Amino acid sequence: MNRYLPLSILALAILAFATLMLVIAPGIQINARPAPEGLRPYTEAEARGREVYVSLGCLYCHSQQPRSGDQAPDGERGWGRPSVAEDYAYDQPHQLGTMRTGPDLLNVSARLPSEGWHLTHLYQPRAIFDWSIMPSYPYLFDHKDTAGPGDVVVALPAAHAPADGVIVASQKALDLTAYLVALDRTYPAPTNGLRDHGYGSSEGPEPTPAEEAR
Amino acid sequence: MTNDPRDRASDTPRDAQSGGGTRKAIYAAGGGLALIALATAAVQLDVVPRWLIGAGSSIEETAAATTPDDQFTPPARDAIPDSPFGDAVRRGEAIFTNTATNAGDHVGNGLSCSNCHLDGGRHPLSAPMWAAWVTYPKYRAKNDQINTMEDRVMGCFTYSMNAQYSPAGGPPPHGDDIYRDLESYFFWLASKAPTNVSLDGIGFGKVPKPEGGYDLARGADVFAANCAVCHGEDGQGQRDINGDYTFPPLWGPDSYNWGAGMSRIDTAAAFIKNNMPLSQPGSLTDQEAWDVAAYLDSHERPRDPRQTGTIEENRLANHDGDEILYGQVVNGVLLGQGTGPSPARAATMATPSAAEPQN
Amino acid sequence: MAHKSDPKRPAEIYEPYEEQAGVPLPVIWIAIALAFWGVLMLYDTGDSVRVSLNDRAEDSEALANVTPDEGASLFEANCATCHQPDGEGLRDAVPPLAGSEVVAAGPGIIARILLRGIDGPLTVADATYDGHMPSFASALSDAEIARLASYVTTRWANGPDGAASSADDVTDLRGEVADLGSFAGGMELARLIPSLPPQPPMPAPSAAPRDDADVLQLVFAGRDEVWSCASCHGDLGQGDETTPRLAGLPAAYITKQLHDFREGTRVNESMHLVASGLTKGEMTALGTYFATLRVPSNAGAVLSGDLARGEELALQGDWSIGVPACFTCHGASGFGVAPGFPGLAAQHAPYTAAQLANWAGGERHNDPLGLMAEISGALSTQDRRAVADYLATRPPVPAVAATMTRMETDDDQ
Repeated sequence: MNRYLPLSILALAILAFATLMLVIAPGIQINARPAPEGLRPYTEAEARGREVYVSLGCLYCHSQQPRSGDQAPDGERGWGRPSVAEDYAYDQPHQLGTMRTGPDLLNVSARLPSEGWHLTHLYQPRAIFDWSIMPSYPYLFDHKDTAGPGDVVVALPAAHAPADGVIVASQKALDLTAYLVALDRTYPAPTNGLRDHGYGSSEGPEPTPAEEAR
Repeated sequence: MTNDPRDRASDTPRDAQSGGGTRKAIYAAGGGLALIALATAAVQLDVVPRWLIGAGSSIEETAAATTPDDQFTPPARDAIPDSPFGDAVRRGEAIFTNTATNAGDHVGNGLSCSNCHLDGGRHPLSAPMWAAWVTYPKYRAKNDQINTMEDRVMGCFTYSMNAQYSPAGGPPPHGDDIYRDLESYFFWLASKAPTNVSLDGIGFGKVPKPEGGYDLARGADVFAANCAVCHGEDGQGQRDINGDYTFPPLWGPDSYNWGAGMSRIDTAAAFIKNNMPLSQPGSLTDQEAWDVAAYLDSHERPRDPRQTGTIEENRLANHDGDEILYGQVVNGVLLGQGTGPSPARAATMATPSAAEPQN
Repeated sequence: MAHKSDPKRPAEIYEPYEEQAGVPLPVIWIAIALAFWGVLMLYDTGDSVRVSLNDRAEDSEALANVTPDEGASLFEANCATCHQPDGEGLRDAVPPLAGSEVVAAGPGIIARILLRGIDGPLTVADATYDGHMPSFASALSDAEIARLASYVTTRWANGPDGAASSADDVTDLRGEVADLGSFAGGMELARLIPSLPPQPPMPAPSAAPRDDADVLQLVFAGRDEVWSCASCHGDLGQGDETTPRLAGLPAAYITKQLHDFREGTRVNESMHLVASGLTKGEMTALGTYFATLRVPSNAGAVLSGDLARGEELALQGDWSIGVPACFTCHGASGFGVAPGFPGLAAQHAPYTAAQLANWAGGERHNDPLGLMAEISGALSTQDRRAVADYLATRPPVPAVAATMTRMETDDDQ
């Protein structure tokens, strides 16, 4: 082992090539894309909710990347159309995730737009689905004797409601819910959207006027 | 090949130097191609389990599984030619599936041809028109003469479509364009069928009469459990929001009359057994089919247009020996008296008095 | 390492080295076979991607250019199930286009009717009809409505082609009529078309449950342990994705589903919780409330299903696999026949496809006679996507006000 120089040069060259192809080129490609018309930036509350989402590690069980019909039946699951790079324009960093212990959440608001539902579900998932394995997040909620002005009371079935008093949502819970309710990327994908085309036809037909109107 | 001593020899480096490498390369490539060929052959010959190659059941396979090979298949809908003949076929199909509008002057109830001849007269064992077409002209005891297809369809209008209460007061006259169009449609459906044969799937099939006969009370239960959801608790069918019959009425003034084949219990039982409930043919037992057929044919319906004298005289002349409740007393009421037209229908009849002679 | 008793044990000074062993031939065979197979797969996949890309390009081109023949096929696809391919309508149910005084009024009127729909009795060609026509505003584009209006006028009113409306006209019209709702029968049409014969009066509206404060409270605010209907199904009951559209579904059907959710005969955990908090009277009132809502469609073909196959299944069925046409039971154009057969038109494709899958798999089994289980089971996944997508593109069910006649039993089964 005495030819250090050529070895080092070769190693660096391989590294540089990989960085160029896997980081720099896609970065240039994606940065040139405008945010889709249907996507709006997060509000303050939603952005705070996104921080909560990150801090709770939701990513470890929930992906945010619906697949096309020839890869997975995500469409039938109600998870929405396959996502394109532009859908993550305001997500820095994106919360793509790799695990699907729970359902994909990129379009959770399209199928579950109810804030009340989300609050109940965050407080105690078993209150709705007795088979759910999602952790409950009681520490995002306060137990009060009576709801004060402006407090958001969580609707709970008798089996999970406290014996006395009410459960009200903390600011963190409200923020997280605001973020979840903002997750709706069901607007039509940009016609030339950046995505992996999979093994077959992966985009739906042209959107109908109804979709465009949304 | 692996036991070949020369193969082993070629493994040693010394042999490799002496040209064994080339030989080895040839062996390797040949073996690889042989493996590919072997695997391809195995897949082609279907000796590989399906799960291994990820092949699901395709639509074609399911279709092939349920259609027997010897069953005649009429041409596809989109195969109607673009020609004057094709236009007649299309008109015939329109009359067949939407009789009340396209032959409305001669329809005196709420039915369409396609209510009993399912899938536009294509479905086996629901009297498919391709099977009927190749058996006419033929002798029918019903009117004791040789019948052409036109004669036969005229009978359908007279009885099943109850033409006596139609605006015209009777079936289309001989030579009417309605027959031309319908016969064009039937002829086209029977494309490439052999003629003067009884094709598989002809008619409604036969269901033998159960040994114990039939029972109207049991039939009522079968009806409530299996039929009422579509045809209504009162058997009067159901309409959509625009008033169009989605499910046809089974008795009463808007159904077929006492002269129709379906008013015979054996015919109705065969149709029911082989076609009803829709999408679940064969789900009723023979006994249930007979019971429910008798139940729905034990209700009053428009009068037999052939009746000139009393009900008993008409029964002897036209229904004697048939499995029919016409002329019998059921639940204290003599069947066969006829319902008369519904008020809405009476308003559209050209000459109500002529169509409804006094008994 | 060699064993001690091995006679060929090397001497102490022997430096162990590994003799260069040839790779066994079978390993090389397999490697070559795999490489060959890999190249084949790459070639295969590359081909299908190219094909699908070309397909998409052709699709978008076809949509951009509406050809003159398009009118006929648009009519076939959207109008013929009710007005019939020959425009003769259905006796006592659907007005004819041939000989219609309304069609004679020109493409502008036709375009308005297509955009707004009709909800009330009207007299056409000497006959009076109930008049329930859906709005096609959400199902058709401006260019398609213009083309269709011209086609109908040209074919049945011998209108000159010069009178054809253009897509721009329709765009203007769309804005003009956006908030007007459906035509109130022939009475309102007669105000636009002076030449119409005398029209029947509109039936007097009854006290609709939408005026009921308790029902409105449930729909928009919820109650203790019950989330509000609107929080998931939308303010107008339009739904999205797997949350179904409720607007225009038969009242008795909605009531029965609520009942089944509570009893557990239809499984949906969220709805179980909601339905458990409702009284029987409230279920009935909610059913009536949503049945009378008339809302534009917000559904679309999102599952990449084959729309032609979906249309075939909906209109003709596929008898070779034992599947009758959807519309045979769910009514012409999928408007539904109460209480057993809900409307399908404009329902969200993911919801429809998911329900079909549930029936096939046995998770849902509250249908009469198990009809849907058998039918869904016969459909392949592609078929379910196709038919769900096709139904989603249909114009929404023209909901009927509580007063209007509708063959609907009130029994709460």
